[in-house]
Amino acid sequence: MNTGTLPQPFEYLAPWLEWALPTEAGRMQKRLDASMTQLTTFYNILLPRMEEIVAYLDQWELHEIPADSKPLLYLALMFMEAAVCVELFKDPDVPESLPAAKMKVFSEQTEQALLANSPRP
Amino acid sequence: MNRPGEARIVPQYPELGTRPISVEPMVSADYFARERETIFRHMWINLIMRAEDIPNPGDFFVRDIEVLGVSIIVVRGDDGVIRGFHNVCTHRGNRITHATCGNSNGFQCDFHGWTFARQGDLVHVTDEEQFLDFDKSEASLPPVHIDQWHGFLFANLDDEPAQTLEQSMAQFNADLGGFPFDEMICAGRYRYEVDANWKVTMNAFQEGYHVAFVHKRSAPDAFTGGENPYCHIPLIKLQPGGNQSLAVPANPGHALSPTEALAFKFGATFTQGTGNESSFPGTHKGEVENWGFDLNILFPFSRINVGAGWYYVDAFWPVDQGHTVYELAYYFPAPGKASAMVSQEFSKIVLRDLSREDLSTNEDTQKALNSGALRHIFLSEQEVAIRHLYRKVDERIHGHHEERTA
Repeated sequence: MNTGTLPQPFEYLAPWLEWALPTEAGRMQKRLDASMTQLTTFYNILLPRMEEIVAYLDQWELHEIPADSKPLLYLALMFMEAAVCVELFKDPDVPESLPAAKMKVFSEQTEQALLANSPRP
Repeated sequence: MNRPGEARIVPQYPELGTRPISVEPMVSADYFARERETIFRHMWINLIMRAEDIPNPGDFFVRDIEVLGVSIIVVRGDDGVIRGFHNVCTHRGNRITHATCGNSNGFQCDFHGWTFARQGDLVHVTDEEQFLDFDKSEASLPPVHIDQWHGFLFANLDDEPAQTLEQSMAQFNADLGGFPFDEMICAGRYRYEVDANWKVTMNAFQEGYHVAFVHKRSAPDAFTGGENPYCHIPLIKLQPGGNQSLAVPANPGHALSPTEALAFKFGATFTQGTGNESSFPGTHKGEVENWGFDLNILFPFSRINVGAGWYYVDAFWPVDQGHTVYELAYYFPAPGKASAMVSQEFSKIVLRDLSREDLSTNEDTQKALNSGALRHIFLSEQEVAIRHLYRKVDERIHGHHEERTA
């Protein structure tokens, strides 16, 4: 099921909206649950467009990015999860490592503070 | 037998010796109990939190230090001072707050409604007239020593700490104090549960020897290769009190992947090494060729590791002799725009995942050591920081350490 919206120039990413997740913990889990085929496809689509995506999002300060463009930011962040799988690990998970189940991500507080739609003090 | 003809580091620390070291400190519950009573209960503990995490009066966080069985509340008072208290109601010992962080006018116990102010004083006792010979001023929250070093919050559970926090930081006051910690924010925080002794876990992070093997995927050429295939550490400073600095070398021939090149375009990256030519106060960049970043170990079990435009703080929280919680918090300049946030996400993920590689050997190692198969282990010159850790722990539990007073 697709959720969220994308700015018009990036509507071609609509099939990936399920991957537009607002937290690092959520994106990491999505990556771990994905196949290498999916991750590589996503990576190949986004890599040549990343500079354009970032330039589009950079027209605002982070906390001013409109709600309908935030999924694009989440996809750009998700790209980084896919990139390490494709470029480094050749696997959705980290081979020869402490199991992911023994790790927890607590980055949400900062993410929410940075993206809150109000000026920071 | 190899001769120490090429030795560079060991001759600087002759007291550490060169022979194999005993595995007893890694497997013994008795040894761990002595560490707890002689080290953990008396030394400054890095809470992996900063003063700016609780900027306003009433802002607080709770930290459970499992090895000592304590829960502490760290709270900013109305006077702006940050204080620490045991998270316990002085009435009959109930836990005062089950929150992990927040802002509060004070703390009220669920059990009978006793209420404490942000400064720890008992301000309200329900049905107070039923208490005879009772003076509220004698029932304030039990204080815990809290101090700050360049914004980092530390606790000390000793009644009277033998050293100030500044004294315990020793050489770091001069070597590390200049780093612009207050210009960065916590971008990512992670906790890993490891079935291994805290020293076994920490040892996996105390040398460069493992990099070519353990990080062959995550960092195939960032810290190894060229003239330094085994990640020889170009600078090691071992301090008398147990603190350590290790400068991790960068490989000048490191090839940036397409994504790292993209990330580097918009910010600093974990594996960029000397690619960024700015100078960084508080680092050893000026002292070594091909500087990558610095590992700074704060005895006994935390680190403040500084790089070219970022830093990360971590701790090897001892739980019991066979269990450790590794906690890592990664700091970057506050990203103003998406490009910086996306760039930082790359380094966060690389370090987060690379740390799982570091932790990969710990549990198997612990099992093998517990089996009794080995009486001792061998350490190379490159692993001298490990030798130093065991030496400093041993000195403390036998009461042979010297307290630095100046």
